[in-house]
Amino acid sequence: MGKQAATKVRAGAEGTGATGKVFPEAPALRLVSSPKRQRILEGMLEAVGNAGYDSASVRMVLDQTGLYRQAFYDEFADKDACYLEALAYGVAKFEAIARAAAEPEEGWRAKLRAGIGALLDALDADPAIGRALIVEVHAAGPEALKIRSEAMKQVTDFIDSARHASTGTELPPPIAAEGIVAGMHAVVHAKLATGDSDGFRQLLPDFMYFAVLPYFGAEVAGAEMKAARA
Amino acid sequence: MDPSSTSSAEKTQGGTQSLPRAYLVRSERERLLEAMLRVAAAKGYEATTVRDVIEVAGVSEQTFEQMFGDKESCFLEAYEAVFDVLLAHMGSAFEAAAGRPWPERVSAALGALVGLLSIEAGIARLSMVEVTATGDDARARYRSALARFTPFLEEGRQYANQGEELPADTARFAIGGAASMIFDEIRAGRGPELTRILPDLVFAVLMPYLGPEAAEDEMRRVAREHAGNLT
Repeated sequence: MGKQAATKVRAGAEGTGATGKVFPEAPALRLVSSPKRQRILEGMLEAVGNAGYDSASVRMVLDQTGLYRQAFYDEFADKDACYLEALAYGVAKFEAIARAAAEPEEGWRAKLRAGIGALLDALDADPAIGRALIVEVHAAGPEALKIRSEAMKQVTDFIDSARHASTGTELPPPIAAEGIVAGMHAVVHAKLATGDSDGFRQLLPDFMYFAVLPYFGAEVAGAEMKAARA
Repeated sequence: MDPSSTSSAEKTQGGTQSLPRAYLVRSERERLLEAMLRVAAAKGYEATTVRDVIEVAGVSEQTFEQMFGDKESCFLEAYEAVFDVLLAHMGSAFEAAAGRPWPERVSAALGALVGLLSIEAGIARLSMVEVTATGDDARARYRSALARFTPFLEEGRQYANQGEELPADTARFAIGGAASMIFDEIRAGRGPELTRILPDLVFAVLMPYLGPEAAEDEMRRVAREHAGNLT
């Protein structure tokens, strides 16, 4: 128990980022072949998150990264290609954050609470990245939406693994998990898009309620909501 | 439905000159709004020109300029009109089911929604999928349009007798979840068969309020009713 609590604190701190950066301990992703490429991808996410996909330009990425124009075009054909890779990169990082937070926890509910909590912390730490990944993806076309759908599918699959943890005799229909993820996505999307910044972390109790409800019923969901508020 | 037939039909508009001016203005405006939707649904918003729209509507360019000024204003008004129609359609179904339990009335409203969206699959695609790609303004309108569906769900709070206060975001969660599911279907090209996911939508919207069992009961009732309609 003591060991678990300690790891939990570390996982939480990772998400919040004492340095003010979202990803202080970015895992080495095979996706990114060089530190320069990684800087460009992060710069692209910042630019798209701050200016919107249509207005974001290679110039902004250069300003953000301090690189020369040629350095950008050595790595990417154009803005679109760069954003697509940046999206995959950002999604992989969010996934790594959630996994790192959930991994030390025991049981579906604790893992979910830690994983979603860490994602919400990451959004609080850098809402611009959240906008680049969740809001602006719509402007970037079908390829980008495909990357987003695959990421949502991963969360859906994890949530639906509650089937094996649930003690309830009646399990919800298969659509339940998809509905939960779609609902959470909609709430986060609306918040990011309106620039409303009163704390993503505060959404955790509600999200836990909605996710737990179909698998464990209202009583357990209500208790979970209260626990997450504390 | 067919823009070319609308266009030729409107060519005979000379005969409408004896109608009151206010009627004519209103109908010109409506024709332009509808033409905007039909053309943009057929060829995409970007490729749509004011010329296309006035040709289909059978209205002069000068009238267009007076009424809307530019393509974007016309589109945004047309876009609002789509939601007006959807909400009115859902509202009628909801009212028609008055006296039945709230979950059944919600199902009736959702049935009306997917029914209309599947018939008007081109406009559905335009309003729900393409619009989210056309810039901040249109996306902001999409979000505020979704908020207009909230009144159908207000009563659900009284129905949720689980002794726990429902989360504040329940309506947004339920509506957003349903909208996302519809969005995915339309984007996958299954807009014309959207009524197929009605039972799933019913579950997703009711579950946050009623919990899984009652939501599933209603989902099954809708599935049975739907299967009955098909045979």
